[in-house]
Amino acid sequence: MNNMRLTERAVTTDVTKFTARKVQVYYGASHAIKDVDIDILDKTVTAFIGPSGCGKSTFLRCLNRMNDTIDICRVEGAIQLDGEDIYDKKVDPVQLRARVGMVFQKPNPFPKSIYDNVAYGPKIHGLVRNKTELDEVVESALRKAALWNEVKDRLAAPGTGLSGGQQQRLCIARAVATSPEVLLMDEPCSALDPIATAQVEELIDELRSNFSVVIVTHSMQQAARVSQRTAFFHLGNLVEFGETGQIFTNPRDPRTESYITGRIG
Amino acid sequence: MTMVETSAPRSLYTADARTKARNAAEKRFRIYGITAVVIGLLALVVLLSSVLGSGLGAFRQTVLSLPITLDAKALDPKGNRDPAEMAKATTVTYAKLITKALEAVVIEQNLAPEMSTKNIGALISKEAPAGLRDMVLADPDLLGTTITYDVLASGRVDGFFKGRVTMESAALDSNITPEQLQLAEKLRDAGLLKLAFNTGFLTNPDASELRPESAGLGVAILGSIYMMVLVLCLALPIGVAASIYLEEFAPKNRFTDLIEVNVANLAAVPSIVYGILGLAAFINFAGMPQSSPLVGALVLTLMTLPRIIIPTRAALNAVPPSIREAALGVGASKTQTIFHHVLPLAVPGILTGAIIGLAQALGETAPLLLIGMVAFVKDYPGAPPEGILDPASAIPVQIYNWTQRADPAFVERASGAIIVLLVFLLVMNSLAVILRRKFERRW
Repeated sequence: MNNMRLTERAVTTDVTKFTARKVQVYYGASHAIKDVDIDILDKTVTAFIGPSGCGKSTFLRCLNRMNDTIDICRVEGAIQLDGEDIYDKKVDPVQLRARVGMVFQKPNPFPKSIYDNVAYGPKIHGLVRNKTELDEVVESALRKAALWNEVKDRLAAPGTGLSGGQQQRLCIARAVATSPEVLLMDEPCSALDPIATAQVEELIDELRSNFSVVIVTHSMQQAARVSQRTAFFHLGNLVEFGETGQIFTNPRDPRTESYITGRIG
Repeated sequence: MTMVETSAPRSLYTADARTKARNAAEKRFRIYGITAVVIGLLALVVLLSSVLGSGLGAFRQTVLSLPITLDAKALDPKGNRDPAEMAKATTVTYAKLITKALEAVVIEQNLAPEMSTKNIGALISKEAPAGLRDMVLADPDLLGTTITYDVLASGRVDGFFKGRVTMESAALDSNITPEQLQLAEKLRDAGLLKLAFNTGFLTNPDASELRPESAGLGVAILGSIYMMVLVLCLALPIGVAASIYLEEFAPKNRFTDLIEVNVANLAAVPSIVYGILGLAAFINFAGMPQSSPLVGALVLTLMTLPRIIIPTRAALNAVPPSIREAALGVGASKTQTIFHHVLPLAVPGILTGAIIGLAQALGETAPLLLIGMVAFVKDYPGAPPEGILDPASAIPVQIYNWTQRADPAFVERASGAIIVLLVFLLVMNSLAVILRRKFERRW
């Protein structure tokens, strides 16, 4: 752990985006998430770490209601975005997902052109009035995803023809294009090589100036490198949540210490 | 510790008993596979050669090129070229003209000095005058001129040149005599009688038992095309809509499970059962006209639906979940996800399923027999949309029909019709492959 580069930037805001209280998630009979209370801050990278099957991805998918697509999944408790309960009956998950974007583990660009991949979100949400505006949105999203210079000459080429790292940055651009407030990332680098990983990590740090980012990761080094706050999940429980530096240097819970020192997980 | 004793020395150069047994098993399996493929190919070769051997003859037809003088006095007695007046001259009058023309040629070249006019006329098809009459009625200016017209020879003469009729069989035949066949041979040597490409086979309607030489597939092809277009317009949208609902929207419960089992079972229901259903529901209950392409298409639609639904659902199911997640993740609604992303990716599979379902429907006979399409239909169905209510036939039913008839000339026609059907199927299947290639996208 000596080569860990802890992010120097301090948390610059204390505005809370997500507030979760007593969240329970059940898959059929199994109780996947137990009593999770967490506050996710704006303009902050929050990392969820923990061993496989600990529920960190499940909890992440609660934040934009992606779990709705799984029939047997049931969520209890309260999750609020800017003080509004996202599981309220009046909430349309489609509107929620426009505000809470998501990047998945495996790069999953649409089998369409690079341009169409990024333009899809703004188009369906009616964020642009004409082609010029759309072009601007696409360019700015690709710039934010640090992909513009690589693809500006071949926007009509299929997104699936890019390399793995480029595809993942394209997916980030696609998520960014709808101007979300929160960006959820589910192990965004697990399918990438170290160089692509470094690019994406750098990008996450830049995205922090505009969004609140929540990232699930298997790599503790990655969590330490990119996040300001870290949550450690174990067996469906949120064991410890705090400043990343404190979690990695001075964990309060023995389970956290066992995990980060490699004794469990 | 117990170890398996190996008697042979452990060298990589000698295979041990287990390896030998495994390799032998693999070799045996390869031989089984190759044998199966060879048997299949042989069956295909036998099928194709038998169909082509007996059916290609149907595409060539014996005709007599005769100079016919269209006697204006006989065909238009009042001389006013009024089509209604000219229509009074029946085929009998035209038959006399044709016979006269043939007799003149026979006498001029002294081919059969002894033969009577009636016997000479028997070389000509009874259907030939009708064709000439239609031509003259369509163009009255031909009256009074002498035209060279290809007159259809009778079925027996045609059979003689295709090897179906011999001098020996003619001796026992009341429709033809060996002398007439000798005359036909002389006419051929004189360059008047020849085998020409048989366009009538593809355009003529069916003909009676006694006139195989003029029987054609025109009505059947038209009926089949009407039905296929209707089946496509009905079965594809209904099938795709049902598949999308069942695959993407329907809750997974006992009721939808029941539907699923039923769809799978319906695909296996014998097609004749659909015929009985169509007879009861569409003709007896709804009172739709018998033998009409509309009823045929409705029955075939019912039959084709499960065969479209099953591959469509499989195609939808094969779209990777990551694409759905990606679309939902950027805030697309379920409907947008399906129509913008899932459906386009499933199109190749859907089209293949639909075209193969259609191809099966095209070759279906049994249900059409029950709704009366087996009837002898001499008139072409009208132009759509009214035409779909007119009686029509279908290619497979026409094949069935012709195989029932006594004259061996119809066996040739039936095989020819099978070739036409196979060509249609081949075209449709190639279309499926081409569409699949065109719409296939990798992800």
